[in-house]
Amino acid sequence: MISYSIITTWQGWLSGSSILLYAVAIVLYAIAILILTSVFAYLFGWVERKIIAKIQHRHGPTYVGKYGIFQNLADLVKLLSKEHVTPDNSDPLLLSLGPVLLLAVITFMVLLLPFSPTLQATNLGLGLLLVFVLVAFLPLILFISGFATGNKFADISAQRSVLMLISYEIPLIVVVAAVALLSGSYSISGIVSAQASSHWYLLLMPIGFIVFFIVMLAEMERPPFDLREADSELIAGWLTDYSGPYYALALFIDYTRIFLASLLIALLFLGGWSGPVLPGIAWLLIKAFVIALFAIVVRATTVRMRIDRIMRLGWLWLLPLALINLILVYILFVV
Amino acid sequence: MEIDRKGLLSKLEALKGTGFDYLVKITVVDYGKNMQAVYFVRDIAKNRDETLEVNLDYKDPWLPTAIDIYPAADWYERELMEMFGIEIKGRITKRLLLEKWDGIDPPFRKSFEWNKEYRTQV
Amino acid sequence: MSTRINIGPVHPSTHGVLHLAVDIEGDTIKDVEPHIGFLHRGVEKLVETRMYMQSPPYMEKLDYVAPMSYDEAYVAAVEAALGVEVKERAQYVRVIELELQRIASHLFFLGALCNDMGQMFTMFMWVFEDRDRVLDLLQEATGQRMFYVNMRLGGVTMDLPPDFTDNCIAFLDHLDKRITEYEKYLEKNPVFIERTKGVGILSAEDAKALGVTGPTLRASGVPYDVRSAKPYYVYGKLGFNAVKLEKGDNFARYRVRILEMRESSRLVREALSKIPDGDALGAPIRLIGPAAKNRVVTVSRELPRGECMMYMVSDPQRPYRLSIRSPCFINLYALPHMARGQRLADLFSIMGSLDLVMACVDR
Repeated sequence: MISYSIITTWQGWLSGSSILLYAVAIVLYAIAILILTSVFAYLFGWVERKIIAKIQHRHGPTYVGKYGIFQNLADLVKLLSKEHVTPDNSDPLLLSLGPVLLLAVITFMVLLLPFSPTLQATNLGLGLLLVFVLVAFLPLILFISGFATGNKFADISAQRSVLMLISYEIPLIVVVAAVALLSGSYSISGIVSAQASSHWYLLLMPIGFIVFFIVMLAEMERPPFDLREADSELIAGWLTDYSGPYYALALFIDYTRIFLASLLIALLFLGGWSGPVLPGIAWLLIKAFVIALFAIVVRATTVRMRIDRIMRLGWLWLLPLALINLILVYILFVV
Repeated sequence: MEIDRKGLLSKLEALKGTGFDYLVKITVVDYGKNMQAVYFVRDIAKNRDETLEVNLDYKDPWLPTAIDIYPAADWYERELMEMFGIEIKGRITKRLLLEKWDGIDPPFRKSFEWNKEYRTQV
Repeated sequence: MSTRINIGPVHPSTHGVLHLAVDIEGDTIKDVEPHIGFLHRGVEKLVETRMYMQSPPYMEKLDYVAPMSYDEAYVAAVEAALGVEVKERAQYVRVIELELQRIASHLFFLGALCNDMGQMFTMFMWVFEDRDRVLDLLQEATGQRMFYVNMRLGGVTMDLPPDFTDNCIAFLDHLDKRITEYEKYLEKNPVFIERTKGVGILSAEDAKALGVTGPTLRASGVPYDVRSAKPYYVYGKLGFNAVKLEKGDNFARYRVRILEMRESSRLVREALSKIPDGDALGAPIRLIGPAAKNRVVTVSRELPRGECMMYMVSDPQRPYRLSIRSPCFINLYALPHMARGQRLADLFSIMGSLDLVMACVDR
């Protein structure tokens, strides 16, 4: 089932497939992916600040570096230089484990995603399912670290993350099922090549795309679904008692999450790496960036939803829409 | 109009019956020898205002609570309790409104000494 | 089983320092207990030690969003005590400046409301652009941007500058367009609608019983506005109509402010067209001024947040006792009543719709 695609691609260079070489290659690849994720997240953070500033008729960061491009770096240095305060009634291990685990899971998921036919760690036959199992894992980590701080606002935030988990996982899986049905494959590379041979799934199932986009915003805690860290209600939600380096990590994770979400959308609905002239990975990153820009505009312009309304939206609108999408896909394209 | 504090509640009740359904403010003025509580009530529909003045004895300043007639009286009464040391009879919540005082003379009375050193609870 | 969470005194959306002890059961609010007094400075006692015209700067700090309105209410009470007539042109100037101040305050409200409902400062920044232009106008007219202290006995410190009319009309045209834009932007946003409509309902009876004032009262279907009930200055001549809406929910409270901004804009235009020539300057400040004639005066003014009543017992040269009926104080008293049974997230939108300024609550 598992084909070691890095090995097969670099076979000539490696000249022989010993397990040690494979391990070295995969570690190098993982480091490369981590750097790519960080660079994307960093650029995204800067672009988000700039675009929101533009929408709000401000300038945004201008002082540090050209066009303020190093502002986030300066913020990072500031946060890293601060003390990490552990509240008395918190669980120190879980408290510090939360952001670290989140980053690990997100990077692992990005690692599982293919960037082009040749650039992927492994070509898992059930890669799609594994990715979404891990996506469902994210609110669980937030839940744990929310309770670990022993802060009441973080508790409420943790409860909210569970409520959101149960209202969003099902529409998500139903849309993913439609994608799998249409492409006849659970492998992400398979889905991309299926799109290359027909059309982008954005055109074939627009309802599914809209549902998926909304669900991804909710999963990745983007406004208007940022109830877990609702700053005007819960101060910072599960982040309320985080400080110093862990807070910096948590803020960084915010941007890596949007990278993951926009990569997934680009792969499943926008034809992945397919595109003329430019290399595949460039196309994928461009598409992901466009999706991320949408998320920025949504963030800048809408007010936050309420938890009961989100559940209503999930169960009364998104789930039926996802099911309709599934049925339409079945009737129109499969039968 | 000036009335006695014993007849205050029945007067307020009567005013409310005739359409004065809005309490604007309750305040107290310390005149040195006596204190005077002032009730402002209003009939919004007919745009009429009425002022009730109640003279209080400096030795034994108390007022009956108007909270059952005008719920809006609640915080004003609490403020008077705190600032003028007036006892409001018939109230359930006796908690002060603005600050926690520790053995301070009622600060809005004229007998309040400005430069005396007070220790406030934090 | 209910949980008590303490919101504030330091919290992103308490509009100052307010401590709310909230009992929640699940996500539903059982009870709210406001603890106030963090900004209590005893202004009412402080003015007893100052001469009459030394106190306006203290009054302005009571409401840092619309400082001039408080200043004017206090000076009006002093004028009533001293028996000073306000010059006719000065009346127009005061009305123009106060209505501009009201527009600035209501714009601030719009931004703060959206912020409390979780928007990323976008509305806040947009309204601050407009508010900045109001402040520019007031700076031209008074010389200051925040704390104006421009009321003097019988008039104002500075007459309107010569190009004020043109600038003001240009701004009002711009403002009317912007208000339409804001209306479109907010009222077509389904999330905004569902966060405001039917949230924090206050019926007309409850509103009167709890004594709320200002836009909060008018949103509940009680059209009481001091400007029309007891017209002061030239409001009678300008044909002022009190705004009234029926629903009493967050949306109505937001709507009332939008309508009031339009009404204020109309009033300013009307006043600018009718303003007579003449002298608008008030008496210069003298520490020992004319002695007070009236012992007890009561002056009511419609501030942007509601009715402010100044009850002043006067000595010859200084207030013997000043009692301020603060609009925010009594609007905050109604908060627990409105919040009971609502969702936790709605507590903040209700608080935002009351437009509280904590300095005004605590005095």
